[in-house]
Amino acid sequence: MARSTFDYVTYIRVTPERLWQALTDASITQQYWFGMRSESRWAVGSSWQLSFPDGRACDTGEIVEAEPLRRLAIRWQNVVNPEFEAEGAGQCTMELETSGPAVKLTLTHSVDCERSKYIAAASGVWPKVLANLKSLLESGSVVLESY
Amino acid sequence: MARSTCVYVTYIRTTPEKLWSALTDPKFTEQYWFGMRSESPWKAGSPWKLVTGAGEVLDSGEIVESDPPRRLVIRWQNQWNPELKAEGVSLCTMELEPHGTAVKLTVTHSIERDGSKFIVSVSGGWPKVISNLKSLLETGSVVLQDYERKH
Repeated sequence: MARSTFDYVTYIRVTPERLWQALTDASITQQYWFGMRSESRWAVGSSWQLSFPDGRACDTGEIVEAEPLRRLAIRWQNVVNPEFEAEGAGQCTMELETSGPAVKLTLTHSVDCERSKYIAAASGVWPKVLANLKSLLESGSVVLESY
Repeated sequence: MARSTCVYVTYIRTTPEKLWSALTDPKFTEQYWFGMRSESPWKAGSPWKLVTGAGEVLDSGEIVESDPPRRLVIRWQNQWNPELKAEGVSLCTMELEPHGTAVKLTVTHSIERDGSKFIVSVSGGWPKVISNLKSLLETGSVVLQDYERKH
């Protein structure tokens, strides 16, 4: 099947517990994700939403897999850009693996559509968000304040 | 034309000058590049090599473009693995762009062939090396001491 995928790997000096918390606690996500809150009960089948600081939804979906400290898969649909929304829901998977004193974080975001404009846009955003996440966890402050 | 490419982008809290120095000073590269020294006079046309602490040359090539502190292009050929060496010469481009109080670093590594095993190999290596570089510049110490091949 035609698919567009963005893959990214980073290594963060942190424990799997703290990284999992940073990915699933909306009060932490807003610190490195340019004010966005990633909100869910984080159980399989529960709803998920990435919200702007004013509460409006940017992306919505549901939790497909949640294995705390190890793996999270989210059915992920953009709801603010009609062109992106028309491409349909994609899936974002985050895998955490211990690697010595660090955690290897592997993020895979895909949409079942060739040359997806949404994945092209997400490919520009994820390196910023994950660079901020790594800096916040390792040094206590983010590297980019604004998007 | 058939091509295999790996692109890795990160943002580092540093200046373009410090990042350029971190990429081109072998005493600095060995701190985050698992003991490897990236050595060259860093002028277009000059030779380049990546060597271990014991002096073994892992990769070699030449500088195609050198525009401090903005852009570096290296002709890059593996020297230690016959299968990867047989794929020929790759091109590695490093671009540094100021981004607020940070620098955006884009590494693009490509070779003119489909399904390159060399590019698969460097796709696993760059995230480790660049994660270490970012941690070293931002916190003073690296995140990974050893290159664990299984990861």
